[in-house]
Amino acid sequence: MTEDKIKKLLQEADRLARRPDHVRVNLSAIHRRANRNHFIILAAPLAAAAVLMVALSILALTFRVAEPTEEQKKIALLETKIKQLQVRTDAALGLIQEVLEEERRQSRLDELQAQLASIPDPLKEIRQQVDKTAFILVYEADRLYNELNQTDSAIENYNRVIKLFPENRWTKVARQRLSEIKNRKI
Amino acid sequence: MAEIIDDELLIEQFRRGGESAFERIVERYSAEVAALANRLLGWPGEVEDVTQEIFLAAFLGLKKFRCECSLRSWLFTITINKCRSYRYKWKIRHLQAIPIPINDIVMRLPHAAEVSCSPMNAEDFQRVRLAVAALPARYREPVVLKYLQELGTDEISRILGISKNALHVRLSRARKRLKQDLAELIEL
Repeated sequence: MTEDKIKKLLQEADRLARRPDHVRVNLSAIHRRANRNHFIILAAPLAAAAVLMVALSILALTFRVAEPTEEQKKIALLETKIKQLQVRTDAALGLIQEVLEEERRQSRLDELQAQLASIPDPLKEIRQQVDKTAFILVYEADRLYNELNQTDSAIENYNRVIKLFPENRWTKVARQRLSEIKNRKI
Repeated sequence: MAEIIDDELLIEQFRRGGESAFERIVERYSAEVAALANRLLGWPGEVEDVTQEIFLAAFLGLKKFRCECSLRSWLFTITINKCRSYRYKWKIRHLQAIPIPINDIVMRLPHAAEVSCSPMNAEDFQRVRLAVAALPARYREPVVLKYLQELGTDEISRILGISKNALHVRLSRARKRLKQDLAELIEL
């Protein structure tokens, strides 16, 4: 088998090969290196922190804001005043808008009231119509009695006025006419 | 089994601050670790530096070792990692200094193959050495662990962190390349 032959060849070469010299492991060197590693592990974070502190201090010094000059102070003051004026202007504008809005509402109200006032009173209209109707009935009745000699039709109309419009002023007239006709018959 | 229990006791002792436990671990495993390093690096003979690095890494990592595998396997894993980086650094250093083909570099590794009564002579040994060194690390390591260190496939898979299937594939490919490079020697 090839594998066996290869194994045999390698083992023979190994037998022939130089053996490692008597290896003495230096334990004290190992301890020293281990202690050094341990020290590095402890000191490294401290060193890193120190470097970081120094870097931050340098950055802080570099970017420190310088004292403002006289001109810069004046500019700052003017900017503040402009902002204050801006605020007052905005407040005044707000007030003006409110007043204008109030005026508009009042004007609209007046308009509506005028429209309402221009609308005729329907009750009045009805009363007038009732009055007119009662008058026409009385007038017709008078014509029937005085001109056409139709006493019965006239009496009917007078009674109709009394029945339909009991509170009307023409009802009184209609009652008077009926009374006169009754007296004449008697 | 007794050895494993002993190892666990040593590890526990080390965790509790008993540094003499580490000395015993070194005594127990330094030869094996050195032998493995020697084989992985192409039998240079001088592996003291890399062995020192391996045991330094072991010392630093032993407290975190959770005994998921045997101490030996763990040490072998460290050995493989250290040898990889050692070999890489060595290659970079020497390639940058003098532009020499890798084959020649392997030939120049400090060694002295002893010619003995064995059928293998120095020339054959160099060929084998060259063939093994020419293997990529992902083939060479399984070959060394299986045929020279004579570890089981389970342990090798654990040490290399690969599946058994992947291990078989790598061994198969490694054998194929070695067969190509060492055809005459294999047929003998």
